[in-house]
Amino acid sequence: MQDAPRNLFVKDVALPLDHCPVLAPNAFFKTALEAMGRSRLGIVCVVDADGILRGIVTDGDIRRQLLKMQKPFSAFFGDDVIEHAIPHPTTVGPDVALLDAVNLMEEKQVWDLPVVDDGGKLVGLLHLHPIVKLLVSQQDG
Amino acid sequence: MDMKTITVGYGDVTKVQIGPGLPLAFLGGPCAIESRDHAFKMAEAIAEITQRVGVPWIYKSCYDKDCRSSPDSFHGLGMDEGLTILSDVRKEFGVPVVSDFSDPSWGPATGEVCDLVQIPAYLCRQTSILRAAALTGRPVHIKKGQFMSPWNMKNSVRKLESFGCHDIMLADRGTFLGYNMLVNDMTSFPIMARTGYPVCFDATHSIQMPTSMGDISGGQREFIPYLVRAAVACGINALFMETHDDPDNALSDANTVLDIKYLENVLRQAKIMHQARLDILAELGEDKVHPNG
Repeated sequence: MQDAPRNLFVKDVALPLDHCPVLAPNAFFKTALEAMGRSRLGIVCVVDADGILRGIVTDGDIRRQLLKMQKPFSAFFGDDVIEHAIPHPTTVGPDVALLDAVNLMEEKQVWDLPVVDDGGKLVGLLHLHPIVKLLVSQQDG
Repeated sequence: MDMKTITVGYGDVTKVQIGPGLPLAFLGGPCAIESRDHAFKMAEAIAEITQRVGVPWIYKSCYDKDCRSSPDSFHGLGMDEGLTILSDVRKEFGVPVVSDFSDPSWGPATGEVCDLVQIPAYLCRQTSILRAAALTGRPVHIKKGQFMSPWNMKNSVRKLESFGCHDIMLADRGTFLGYNMLVNDMTSFPIMARTGYPVCFDATHSIQMPTSMGDISGGQREFIPYLVRAAVACGINALFMETHDDPDNALSDANTVLDIKYLENVLRQAKIMHQARLDILAELGEDKVHPNG
């Protein structure tokens, strides 16, 4: 990774907003599971009516919830997604150097970082897989 | 989610506010409007009791009971005569009134008279009646169906909201336990309160044994005070009880209505319990036990 090009930024690789699974805080939790399945990403971003990121739900969060939650599935599925979202997740700005973002992923042991602007508005999603693909293609090239 | 306060009452009646931290409201009256004289007699008696106890009161009585077990059971006086009586009761006693309605076409007339419109439990997920209730512009009291989970009531709330209604109260009136039997899940109150709206306990229908007597419903009235105390302790904002001066000869729900001779005692218990709960939370803080330990 130390050989990664210094001129690459988060915005060069991040998935655009219309490719991110995004839900309103009061969406049913079941909808989050469906959105994650459709996008084939292990994350959904919860944004309010102004587009501000209010939390995220990841595969790992759901696994942990399933082991702890004792309520019936029907109640779990009907909860507002925000109730099970991680508030204040680690995020990254679009103009951050890609290398720094990858180091942040390594430090936090995550492979998705919501990309937010200075106002906290979600603008994209940095997913590890496209980064790896890009770097591999550059090495091959 | 913070709970909303709803205000019941238009025009010159004594408005009743229902919500967090407020006095426990009482919705009560005979199940059905049996006659003008009986409606007024009951209103007068309940008015005296609620004034003595000091509980905000909404007069409840229905003009058309559409869910009776038998075709031979008393159905009600009908919409025109029933609503005229309700309108006169609210004027005479200055009390807000509530009636349920069982057909969407009855919505406009019901909303024109009633300060609060009620959705029967059996119809709580019917989109057409929820729409009709919302279109009245009045606050809506929706009872959880005996077949519904408390968390699924969020769907009915969202339907009402989608039709422009944002003044809602949800009630528990029991949940089917097999056939002909109801039980109360006291967790239904905090669960339904998570919709952000006040919650109510329908004590007299909760002790009903639906259609347990062939063509009518039975009931175990003796358990009303126990359930009332439990529900109030669980944080209800309003208490619903049907009451009658002659239960044996009541034309509707004879086996579940509370004899009015017990009403004052039960209301006093409820009021004391409600205040005790508020005092406990003020002293020790809100309940914050996390589901994950």
